[in-house]
Amino acid sequence: MNTFKTERFRDKQLGFVMYLIGEAIMFATLFATYFIYTPTAINPIPKEVFEARTVIISSVFLLTSSATIHYGEKAVEKGNHKGIWIGLLTTFLLSVGFIGMEAHEFQTYYKEGFTLTQNLFLSSFYILVGLHASHVLFGMGWMLVLAYQKNRIPFMNYAQKQNIFSYYWHFVDVVWIFIITLVYGPYLFY
Amino acid sequence: MTFYLFDRSFYIASDVLLAYITVILSGAAIFYLITKADKWPTIKKYVTTTHHRKIGVLYLLSATLFFIRAGIEALIIRVQLAVPENDWWVFQGDKFNEAFTTHGTIMIFFVAMPLLIGLMNVAVPLQIGARDMAFPYMNAVSFWLFLAGAILVNMSFFMTASPNAGWTAYAPLSISTYTPEAGNDYYVFGLQVSGIGTILAAINMIVTIVRHRAPGMKLTRMPLFPWSTLITSFLILIAFPVLTIALYILMFDRMFGTQFFTGEAGSPIYWQHLFWIFGHPEVYIIILPAFGIFSDIISTFSKKRVFGYTSMVIAITIIGLLGFMVWVHHMFTVGLGPLVNTVFAITTMLIAVPTGIKIFNWLFTMRKGLIQLTTPMLFSLGFIPTFVVGGVTGVMLSVAAADMQYHDSYFVVAHFHYTMIGGTVLGAFAGIYYWFPKMFGIKLKETLGKWHFWLFVIGFHITFFPMHLAGLNGMPRRVYTYLPKDDVFIYNFVSTIGAFLMGLGTLAFIWNIYQSFKNPDYTGNDPWDGRTLEWAVPSPAPEHPFQPMPLVKTIDPLWEAKRNRGGKLPEAESARSAPIDVTSWQPIGLAGMMMVFSLAFIYHQTWLQIIAGIGVLSFFVIRNLTDEHVRVAREEENE
Ligand code: HEM
Ligand SMILES: [Cu+2]
Repeated sequence: MNTFKTERFRDKQLGFVMYLIGEAIMFATLFATYFIYTPTAINPIPKEVFEARTVIISSVFLLTSSATIHYGEKAVEKGNHKGIWIGLLTTFLLSVGFIGMEAHEFQTYYKEGFTLTQNLFLSSFYILVGLHASHVLFGMGWMLVLAYQKNRIPFMNYAQKQNIFSYYWHFVDVVWIFIITLVYGPYLFY
Repeated sequence: MTFYLFDRSFYIASDVLLAYITVILSGAAIFYLITKADKWPTIKKYVTTTHHRKIGVLYLLSATLFFIRAGIEALIIRVQLAVPENDWWVFQGDKFNEAFTTHGTIMIFFVAMPLLIGLMNVAVPLQIGARDMAFPYMNAVSFWLFLAGAILVNMSFFMTASPNAGWTAYAPLSISTYTPEAGNDYYVFGLQVSGIGTILAAINMIVTIVRHRAPGMKLTRMPLFPWSTLITSFLILIAFPVLTIALYILMFDRMFGTQFFTGEAGSPIYWQHLFWIFGHPEVYIIILPAFGIFSDIISTFSKKRVFGYTSMVIAITIIGLLGFMVWVHHMFTVGLGPLVNTVFAITTMLIAVPTGIKIFNWLFTMRKGLIQLTTPMLFSLGFIPTFVVGGVTGVMLSVAAADMQYHDSYFVVAHFHYTMIGGTVLGAFAGIYYWFPKMFGIKLKETLGKWHFWLFVIGFHITFFPMHLAGLNGMPRRVYTYLPKDDVFIYNFVSTIGAFLMGLGTLAFIWNIYQSFKNPDYTGNDPWDGRTLEWAVPSPAPEHPFQPMPLVKTIDPLWEAKRNRGGKLPEAESARSAPIDVTSWQPIGLAGMMMVFSLAFIYHQTWLQIIAGIGVLSFFVIRNLTDEHVRVAREEENE
């Protein structure tokens, strides 16, 4: 079923993909920054900081949410309203879990004295992972707006809006996969 | 200057005081004139508009204002440098640093960029047969974000805290340890906010050109200005995010105590890499659209199809690609090693090849053409030799070994002004004269246009040619004075005279605009006997053009129609749905909120950061809840 894919909506899809390309370059630049400054001569080194457990739990939350939003996407295409709600709600809850873990992680680091300005490894870690976290937060706000609009606007418009959102959400997830493999990975799992 | 009020003494630099007085008086005068002429409704129309032509006009108008501001700064620089050991007014030491920093920053980001994006907005949709930009609302957001950023950078002067680390903001000078004042924070936030607007504008251009061309307007039939716009937009989409992150990191260094670009572990060179990975593509971003403009104009006024159309397209594409592989030519003296320098020297030299191809194609377009020396054509003719000089000095600079001598000297200042004024600014003037009828339905005066051209171009060469020699004689850039024994006095003196001629030329331009509105020469749809689709719609371009939608069968469709069909374009059977135009206060509101948000950061007001942050986010929500697509869908449902 492709009824919501009007010409104007296809413009929007293309435009949003272009926007995501821009975002991808921003994140790529931050990854480069991280590689250049990690590990540094000044302690701590990543191995002393990272903790596998939190990373694994938060990854489980975020990666599952890609599946749930995909489920929501399918529900939109089938016009299955209950499925849409389930997709949105589970995605939202999983993102709450992710942000909770992330907040917990940063807090623990700070308590241990691993602050933003401690050394350049930590600086580049925080500005990269922090920017990603703020993308998740933005996405959560977006989901709230979607939920508010669900029964208030014509279904076609809702379908379009959710479609764009799931592009965004998948993108945020892909960035996270890069973060696990490139930021944490080399120091946690080898 | 110190003055007393309520028993307290206040100090304000006399140049700032003068600027305040000028701005307040001219602001009051403009306010009065608008009220008297009863023009507030028109202003409101422009402020809330999402129509591409009006937004284009707004871009051009702001660019002109900033051109005047940064131009005055250029004159100030030239006066201070006119004679050796000069001690003119306040412009020595740090004041001079501020003058060349804001001059360069404003000229690049708030003059060259909006001049070109403005012309794109006016012309590109019409040239490809689109009914508007793909996202009219976002188009307005782009403009107002650009303006908010520009105002931020410009207001720093009035807060006696101008940026002062050069337009390149090299670390560690740009780090708060060395420049703790608010000046470079204004730079960071001003460029950040306007940069977001530019990225959105590029996305809008890409989607418009990819998806909104008239039926039959294949990419291989598209005029060259839209082509160069398309390539430029991709360059923006790739280069500007790098600047975004560079500024983001610089912000952390300046405000949150990180040490990416300074200190023991940090690296100032990393800033240079980031800046030039953005910065070199940026100079192509501001030259490629000008190439497109010249191609269309030269073809129109030679009454010939552009020579070597395909090679023109391939050349801009290659220039765009190579543009990402040459950034180290700005860093030859850093000491990255002979291998790196050689590689980047070669890629840089390679760019001369496609550029040379374009120059020859323009010449061959004119060959045996019926050349008409209108003002836009004059500017194009002035461009060719000027730009060739800039290109030749560019190749000279690309010789890494020789650059050890040229680097950071007036030779470089001469080089980039030959390309940026000779290319971008002349291109923008040409484009403004050419498309002015499409913007307002009237032509600019030809006689005054010729005064403008000759004063500006002669003044230009008098100003900048001697700079080559001053540079070869060892005069470094970014210095506020020199000694008689340095043997550069005569070059500098001549240069200053030329700068005032350019100033006169610019006045002629402004006078021309005034005169043209006062005694308007109304023109029909097609004042230049044009070749492309924009000349098939009325002047000024209507809100809903292309009813009926033309069917495009060749390059230069209008010309073909005039030759073979009595000027009537074939009609397409159906056209895609047009973008939805709206009027809205939201774009300017959002931009204003972004400005408050930036100021809250610049002056470290945490509570205001939070409030303004929420304010910015709430605009996303408001936008979503007032989405015109929903309204249109409802209307269609009710039918
Ligand atoms: C209108 C006449 C102009 C004059 C007389 C002029 C003059 C100058 C001079 C003398 C400098 C060197 C300052 C120094 O190194 O101490 C300079 C720097 C510069 N100009 Fe211009 N300029 C003009 C227009 C433009 C335009 C149109 C652009 C760009 C589109 C531009 C871009 C720059 C840049 C980027 C710098 C380097 C600033 C820096 O060192 O950070 N200028 N200009
Ligand atoms: Cu360059």
